[in-house]
Amino acid sequence: MSPMSSLNRRALLTGLGASAGVFAIGSSAVIGQAKPRVVVIGGGAGGGTAARYIAKDSAGALNVTLVEPSRQFVTCFHSNLVVGGYKQMADISHSYEKMAAANGITMAHDMAARIDRDRKVVMLAGGQALPYDRLVVSPGIDLRYDSVPGWGREHETAMPHAWKAGPQTTLLVNRLNAVPNGGVIVMIAPPNPYRCPPGPYERVSMFAHVLKKAGKDRCKIFVIDPKENFSKQALFQEGWDRHYPGMVEWLGPKIHEGVKSVDPKTGTVVTGFETYKDAALVNVIPAQFAGEIVRSAGLANASGYCPIDPASMRSTIDANIFIVGDASIAGDMPKSAFSANSQAKVAAMTVRSELTGSRVFPARYTNTCWSLLNDDDAIKVGGQFEPRPDKITSTVPFVSQLRESADLRKQTQAENIGWYAGIVADIFT
Amino acid sequence: MAVRRFIASGFLGIACQMAGFMALPAHAADKAFGEYLAGECVTCHLPSGRQVGGIPAIAGMPEISFMALMESYARRERDNQVMQAVAGKFNSDELAALAAYFASLKPE
Ligand SMILES: Cc1cc2nc3c(=O)[nH]c(=O)nc-3n(C[C@H](O)[C@H](O)[C@H](O)COP(=O)(O)OP(=O)(O)OC[C@H]3O[C@@H](n4cnc5c(N)ncnc54)[C@H](O)[C@@H]3O)c2cc1C
Repeated sequence: MSPMSSLNRRALLTGLGASAGVFAIGSSAVIGQAKPRVVVIGGGAGGGTAARYIAKDSAGALNVTLVEPSRQFVTCFHSNLVVGGYKQMADISHSYEKMAAANGITMAHDMAARIDRDRKVVMLAGGQALPYDRLVVSPGIDLRYDSVPGWGREHETAMPHAWKAGPQTTLLVNRLNAVPNGGVIVMIAPPNPYRCPPGPYERVSMFAHVLKKAGKDRCKIFVIDPKENFSKQALFQEGWDRHYPGMVEWLGPKIHEGVKSVDPKTGTVVTGFETYKDAALVNVIPAQFAGEIVRSAGLANASGYCPIDPASMRSTIDANIFIVGDASIAGDMPKSAFSANSQAKVAAMTVRSELTGSRVFPARYTNTCWSLLNDDDAIKVGGQFEPRPDKITSTVPFVSQLRESADLRKQTQAENIGWYAGIVADIFT
Repeated sequence: MAVRRFIASGFLGIACQMAGFMALPAHAADKAFGEYLAGECVTCHLPSGRQVGGIPAIAGMPEISFMALMESYARRERDNQVMQAVAGKFNSDELAALAAYFASLKPE
């Protein structure tokens, strides 16, 4: 490194220490030690990206361990395309082997059972202790099994959520295919904040697409929503009317007055307005909060999610810990894989700078969420974000328009397909 | 240069600078900065240069072409909501840094 850049580096490090105002960077525990240790918990969109960027860009200067119980990661993103019959499970399943070998990441295929923040050690379920200088946590969401009366963990086979991809996705596909013509589907949509704001409504589109394609257009899909409005609402509703007339009925809380109870044995959903009996499929998407590991480590606040510094994704509760993805409170950014990937790069850059003295650049965040309505008809919502002292703030938002040309909608779906290839390469290679 | 401006701006208040776009700036483009900024691009555009679906390959693109494309998105002469939002926020130093980085990639 040239003298000029090391001068810059020192200036930047001092600046960062001052602005973070929490701890001394460059303390003996960090710079000067043989190989600083970074542990990343969670090998999904956020954690996979963080581990890869920290390892790749520090070229062996750091010891990076990724803790993730699964050998294969099944992406929630594009799992709705599996539901719609556009993709297979194999298309959304990715192994860690290649990315671990190519970037020098040590895999620990286990659950992190506990974070000992005082000793800076992650305890794995299998008993191994992983000491860290910096910890990045991206555990995603946990479902609140107590949020829908009558439904719980033991009912997720009878009434699947498929809000974590894998066997639940396959189950949902099988249940959908078994719906008879004239059958009823009820989706119980989640309250804010939750993973993938347009996800439930893209899924409804895929339900209708599969049913209609199979000639079962006497089926009816009821969406019982606790929210007054939802992401890309006008675009979804216009798409449902155009592609699937009479098949989808969306009900807001003023109409249905809440879910009073569900009975998984009989496929019954009771709302304040109506009782749906003998539903062929009930898709319960419950309320959510940050993955258990960050809540039990005291890194979440009363909301169930983790407060972070908007300029770095550093936990405001523990300066050695960074929280990215769905588990974080990321201001105006939605809980999406694109957001998690973007946040992970800011955290990775900050972690590297603190441990290796690499350059610090201003935080930049971005997101786009594509949703498929029917063959070659996709819409998108997204924008640019920047850190402001109070939160990550949307600066340049955009959304698809009503009455766009068929060509543009087709091109939007082509982007969606390309984006998936891009983001999984950015995580798993 | 970008890093100095970053220090001067005090780390938090980095304004989104809608600078007037010029040709390549006089000083050498900052490739390391470009690589960091490119983090946002490679979520969609494969650094291998492979094209999948509707996301064009940009790895290895000459700097001049890259700058011209991004400037036309920023001026909204080219259509695409994502690219207009992305291009619109970069100043000329940042664009030059990005252009230098992508030009340095060798498509597989
Ligand atoms: C149906 C659906 C469709 C979606 N579509 C899109 C889309 O089109 N575009 C988009 O951008 N996003 C989409 N999303 C959202 C996206 O999947 C999530 O926002 C994203 O995966 C969040 O990344 P994450 O890293 O926070 O969590 P995850 O990707 O869920 O990763 C968390 C990982 O942490 C691991 N983990 C948890 N706890 C521990 C522990 N204690 N120890 C070790 N490992 C642990 C888990 O096993 C998991 O692998 C969709 C979501 C759903 C449900």
